[in-house]
Amino acid sequence: MQKKILEFADILRKSGIRVSTAETIDAFEALDLLSLDEREQFRDTLRATMVKRGEDVPTFDELFDLFWSGFYDSLRDSFGDAANRLGDFGVDLDELLKQISQMLEGMDGDMGDLSELAQAMLTADLNQIEQLIMAAANAAEINIENFLQIGFFSRRTLEQMGLDDAGGELRDLAAALEAAGMDPQQLAALREFIDGLMDAARKSVRNFTERELQKQNHDYMEKFRRETLLEKSFYHLSEEEVRKMREVVERLAQKIKNILSIRRRRLNKGKLDLHQTLRKNMALGGVPFNLIFKQRKKDRPKLVILCDVSSSVANVSRFMLQFCYSLQEAFSKIRSYVFVAELGEVTHTMEEGDINEAIEEALEGGGVINVYTRSNFGHAFHHFWQNYLSAIDNKTTVLILGDARNNYNDARAWCLRDIHNKAKNVVWLNPESPSAWGFGDSVMDRYRPYIDVAEECRNLRQLNAVIDRLIL
Amino acid sequence: MFESVDHVERELASHQYICDKRIATVVFLAEKLEKPVLVEGPAGVGKTELANAVSKVTKRPMIRLQCYEGLDEAKALYEWEYSKQLLYTQILKDRFTTLMDGASTLREAASLVGKEDSVFFSDHFLVARPLLRAITSEEAPLLLVDEVDKSDPEFEAFLLEVLSDYQVTVPEIGTFEARSKPIVFLTSNNAREMSDALKRRCIHLFIDFPSREVEEQILAAKVPDAGEALIEDLVRMMQRLRELDLKKTPSISETLDWARALLALNANELNEDIVNDTFNVILKYEGDVRKAQGELTKLLEKKSPESPTNAPENAKPDAPKKGALH
Ligand SMILES: Nc1ncnc2c1ncn2[C@@H]1O[C@H](COP(=O)(O)OP(=O)(O)OP(=O)(O)O)[C@@H](O)[C@H]1O
Ligand SMILES: [Mg+2]
Repeated sequence: MQKKILEFADILRKSGIRVSTAETIDAFEALDLLSLDEREQFRDTLRATMVKRGEDVPTFDELFDLFWSGFYDSLRDSFGDAANRLGDFGVDLDELLKQISQMLEGMDGDMGDLSELAQAMLTADLNQIEQLIMAAANAAEINIENFLQIGFFSRRTLEQMGLDDAGGELRDLAAALEAAGMDPQQLAALREFIDGLMDAARKSVRNFTERELQKQNHDYMEKFRRETLLEKSFYHLSEEEVRKMREVVERLAQKIKNILSIRRRRLNKGKLDLHQTLRKNMALGGVPFNLIFKQRKKDRPKLVILCDVSSSVANVSRFMLQFCYSLQEAFSKIRSYVFVAELGEVTHTMEEGDINEAIEEALEGGGVINVYTRSNFGHAFHHFWQNYLSAIDNKTTVLILGDARNNYNDARAWCLRDIHNKAKNVVWLNPESPSAWGFGDSVMDRYRPYIDVAEECRNLRQLNAVIDRLIL
Repeated sequence: MFESVDHVERELASHQYICDKRIATVVFLAEKLEKPVLVEGPAGVGKTELANAVSKVTKRPMIRLQCYEGLDEAKALYEWEYSKQLLYTQILKDRFTTLMDGASTLREAASLVGKEDSVFFSDHFLVARPLLRAITSEEAPLLLVDEVDKSDPEFEAFLLEVLSDYQVTVPEIGTFEARSKPIVFLTSNNAREMSDALKRRCIHLFIDFPSREVEEQILAAKVPDAGEALIEDLVRMMQRLRELDLKKTPSISETLDWARALLALNANELNEDIVNDTFNVILKYEGDVRKAQGELTKLLEKKSPESPTNAPENAKPDAPKKGALH
């Protein structure tokens, strides 16, 4: 049992659930206290001791079924089928077994003469059969990678298990019982039963091998999903991927928050502020009852975000906005604008309501601009210059998201120049690779002189790197 | 003290905490293994109440440490009562003068005062906060560290130390060791992820919204005046509301509030008017109320509408597709 639990822990680990040795030991100790017969209790115990994150629970449940209950259930089904065949002969399994052992006694033998496997099959001892299959699979060194190998590994497991020998033993047994004068009706039933058992064993082994493959695939798929999400290009995402990425962004933002929080603590441990202490305690006759410490503060940047929300870059804007608003406390103020050709402010939309809903609303123009037009950066910047330039001061970082594909309109780079002159710095994230900047209708080269940091931003990894630099 | 998981379940129920086997199993294990339990789950599903109920069942006094951003050791463990110390210094001024009579230099005076240090750093001036109280408690207590996710990572590290050996050292006095290990519950709404180290030390319980049966039982236990029909209507409605994509999904506390509100209005079943009038008891956001009102007829349907064909209906209406213009 312990071995099986260790193996299960290993599978959990491979699927991204971090189970430590200490936790596995907890599981053992906990299981000692409980009866293992109740499957749900067994599951609850493993879950409570090995899974420590709510979001891992569904993965755990899925793997648990795959690993524990599923195979046993299928064993029961297959061997149940074999026993059912007896019914066609009007013979009952228990009675048949009683009959057999009585006759064996008379023949100076007993069931113990049979091999473990033959015995387990005949008495439908499913636990024992499960053990034997697992041991055999182990000896067969199953290391299955694709479905073409199912047949091969099944055969090897059957060989290790010695199923053919067991079949031989059972048939010999039937022959011996025939010679000893067993009732023909019962005998026919027994022979049919033996065939059924052989089929059931083969089917179970195949089933076991298939499950091994599924387990492997499960690990593989999970890892694959997580790794590629970071690298996956923002162009063309399915809804499911958008949802998953949101979670990743949330986690990345959380990480940054934790770092910030540690920093803030460190900064706050300032020196005793004598002046303030004396003043505050004046009323107490100058006895310093309450001590005041100097708070060192790091200036938090002001952020102005200009988001191109045309469909070609919508996803960059989506995750960028999510990032910035998840980290609101890292900034002293965030103002957000969206544009395609027209430009409008969505700060208000972003500040109220659920962040993800607000983002989706902003991407639809936030009720302030028409998004069903052709991109025109020049026009958008000019509009900003006319109406919102005052939003920028020398503590402001201006963050622009867009591909700078201007549909051959006037770039009006001088607007960006003026923005640049007023701001602390200008950061531009472009989902296109730098080699494409300035070619075709891209006006990135025209804007480049007024950008302090221009970065390619095509996937989450790059986005995360930019945010790190911006804040940390 | 618990004989079995079923025993836990029954005991909790007799103290009006209704739970399934999953929760009972964890409580059983926590007591037997003497390990802290980290309870996670959405707001209002009964995390705090579970600790409460367990403290009653096990007859342990509950000591609660409410976490918040900025909570530090001093607030959680102990503080020197600085002002009291000063006050004593003032009052005992004369004694000091006598004490220092023999001293001719400042250095000598300081060392004379130093010898009396222990007077000022004794239990007398020590204010015990929840953690120290849990450790020094005469009766083995139940320690509830509520909303631990609101605390800062540094505090978590400190908490971890305390939870690993249940002893605390006050440098000026000595080491306090727990007479018997307290049962510890930590609750979290997942505002931030707790460290692996902490999680490793705890057993974990995720409490989700209750099943229909459990929620009906909770109502019956907590609002006994509500009739069967009302309970059934109410719970059906709540279960369906939770499937909508709401900003704040209503929880057990809202169910209970609602039941009480409806009783006060003498309603014994749900209908459109009553629901419309009282939606604000369970839904805290204007947008959520509007969304739910839009689905009201479906929500009120007596039969269960769970035929798979209409399942995706509450998905977002398709936004018009943008052209490939840009
Ligand atoms: N299983 C239950 N049996 C009886 N009452 C319950 C149960 N679960 C919750 N309640 C009731 O629901 C209300 C909310 O529970 P509680 O305050 O414990 O929630 P919580 O999970 O701690 O929420 P929060 O995360 O907001 O702190 C309480 O009035 C409590 O009595
Ligand atoms: Mg609570």
